[in-house]
Amino acid sequence: MNIYWFSVLIATLFEVLWVIGLKYASSISEWIATIICIALTFVLMIFAQKKLPIGTTYTIFTGIGTIGTILVDVIFFGEELKAIKVFFILILILGVMGLKLVTTNNDIELEKGKL
Amino acid sequence: MDWFVLVLAGCSEVFGIAMMNRYKHKKGFLGILLIILGFSLSFFFLSYAMRTLPMGLTYAIWTGIGGAGAAILGIVLYGESKDLKRICFIMMIIISVIGLKISA
Repeated sequence: MNIYWFSVLIATLFEVLWVIGLKYASSISEWIATIICIALTFVLMIFAQKKLPIGTTYTIFTGIGTIGTILVDVIFFGEELKAIKVFFILILILGVMGLKLVTTNNDIELEKGKL
Repeated sequence: MDWFVLVLAGCSEVFGIAMMNRYKHKKGFLGILLIILGFSLSFFFLSYAMRTLPMGLTYAIWTGIGGAGAAILGIVLYGESKDLKRICFIMMIIISVIGLKISA
């Protein structure tokens, strides 16, 4: 694994962390940590884009980020998963990933900020 | 109310992306301000929606609205390709968001 793909993985980790922060942060220091995680996600993804095919990068980032957030929700915060919910979330993830995958470089100009 | 705020978060995200696009053609302090405004609002609304809605579900929907919204914006405003695959994926996102709302 090269440094760029590694950045994407670490960015995904920070993405899940700031999502947890947005929901559960209660003190000033926790909010600051959340904001730092948001900033790090941006920085790492911008760095990864320098060398990686952007459509694929975002596809993987979105997929892992969404599934990771839901897993954390279920494992650590006791969120219930109904079958119908899992079904729709899977369709949604497939939709977002597919969209990012078929987005050509020409279309990427617009996608630059999507994190 | 929380669902409405969640949709607002997604729309703010799309606004932020549109402003980034604008900035590429029209540099300036106002442009940077509008980008920051869009994304700040997006995080603010997302955080508010998460206070009452489940975290994973809320995040998934926010990502979906952002992705589908950016694609629709691209097709309508910037003449991006509107091939069948893209339209299908956008529809998948919209249908699943509606499905999640109804089954919630």
